[in-house]
Amino acid sequence: MRKVVIYSEDVDSIKTAVSYFSNENTIAISDKEVHFTDELYLIDDIKEDFIANYIVSLNPEIVVTGSTKRDKTVAGIVAGLMKVPIIPDVIEISGNIAKRVVYSGMGIAEIEFSYPIVLTVSKKPVEVKEKATKVIKVQTKEEKIKRIEIKTKGGGGVDLTSAQIIVSVGRGIGSKENIKYAEELANALGAALGGSRPVTAELGWLPEDRQIGLSGVKVKPKLYIALGISGQPQHIAGIKDSKIIVAVNTDKNAPIVENADYIIVGDAIEFCKVMTEKVKKK
Amino acid sequence: MNIVACFKIVPDDSLIKIVGDKLDLNVPPKISTYDKNAIEEAIRIKEKYGGKAIGVTAGNTDRKSIREALAMGLDEVIAINMKEQDVMTTAEAIAEAISPIKPDIVLAGESTTDSSGSVFPSYLASLLGYPVITYAKSITIESNKVRVERNLTSFNEVVEANLPVVISVVGEINTPRIPTVRQIMESAKKPVKTIDYNKQPKIKIARITPYVTTRKKIIIEGKMEEAVEKLLSYLKQEGVL
Repeated sequence: MRKVVIYSEDVDSIKTAVSYFSNENTIAISDKEVHFTDELYLIDDIKEDFIANYIVSLNPEIVVTGSTKRDKTVAGIVAGLMKVPIIPDVIEISGNIAKRVVYSGMGIAEIEFSYPIVLTVSKKPVEVKEKATKVIKVQTKEEKIKRIEIKTKGGGGVDLTSAQIIVSVGRGIGSKENIKYAEELANALGAALGGSRPVTAELGWLPEDRQIGLSGVKVKPKLYIALGISGQPQHIAGIKDSKIIVAVNTDKNAPIVENADYIIVGDAIEFCKVMTEKVKKK
Repeated sequence: MNIVACFKIVPDDSLIKIVGDKLDLNVPPKISTYDKNAIEEAIRIKEKYGGKAIGVTAGNTDRKSIREALAMGLDEVIAINMKEQDVMTTAEAIAEAISPIKPDIVLAGESTTDSSGSVFPSYLASLLGYPVITYAKSITIESNKVRVERNLTSFNEVVEANLPVVISVVGEINTPRIPTVRQIMESAKKPVKTIDYNKQPKIKIARITPYVTTRKKIIIEGKMEEAVEKLLSYLKQEGVL
């Protein structure tokens, strides 16, 4: 049996990792008490450099982390310390082949690997049986990075990753004030509200945690409504797994058109008003 | 202060097309989007605190892209030719090339548009023996200390570390400058040191296939009232409303 050390701050990512290596000797490191592995090192805080050094001290053959920003930071430090290859954002493993998305969501690469290896996995829905896990408490220590402050963003804790319907706005919505029309539509549909990179990270019309795309969250709703989003590859990469994509855009030649099921050529605000009205009536 | 900006030259992702069962990667190269933010930040730190801003790139060493990085304001570029590369060999090549410079700050973009792994900066930090701070949205330097605000999506975290340090930056940290004609002319005189690095990665890309989701692309035109009616009936048929 191989020694597999699994680390993530996200429980579903731990389950996904366990599902790939259920026949091996599994050790989890987490700040949540999960019982899916043979052993659990229960940590009291997330300090990436401490966790990375701790993982290396366990002398694993395989290290699997989730794919949150901090998970990946830990994975990169670990791989560098162990001087072994790393494959990030793995969406599937079969035998010694790992699949991952490349070129801003346009390709899937199949990568042959051998052990030792560090992987970060994208979470997916899996069933994992609970185990009689041996729990060991670990107190984390500050190393070279000193935390000064945590600033919450007040995004309202919207979980875009599990939303069934998403209304998403791009620069084409025109102004921060106009966001309210999209919000009203989202409320009428029982949808979550997200946005493109320009609208969130650059212009601040929506909180940053609503950013959908390659560097934000990847979503997979039944229905994705893109309002005034031109459809840069980085955005498309984050919505590829949506069942149905509706685009509302004044430009019939915008790249989003190639990536949508239904396209309404017209003004996003007018669309919001009319659609909200009709949805409410039904 | 020695500042190093890591940047990767990648196929322009807005031009990559799917042709049959292949991706056509034979498109003009560009500096990967967020790596331009790393270059910009290196230049700003140099302008504010003095020192030297050195660029390092590994893989494709397209001259035009390197000239652009120099024109933006880097003092020199180390260009590492690699035919095959993965995160590990790239980090090894760059660590070897920049260790002699003893950089105080090493910057890189949060991810590249070709492989988008986001793990290279931390890997490099381990090889250099430096601490790493990822996803920086602002950086301030006080004597031998750096204070960084990190964008961790649902919240921000402010951290401090002593120099030297590796920092990965997010797009909102700055707006990369567009060089003037004069800067472009002058960039021709700036030094580019070329190195060949030929270590075979331990992992191998067996194949790359297009990731296609077939979309219906049904265009609904006309008056908004009617268009929305039509859309609603389509969405009902699809069973998503």
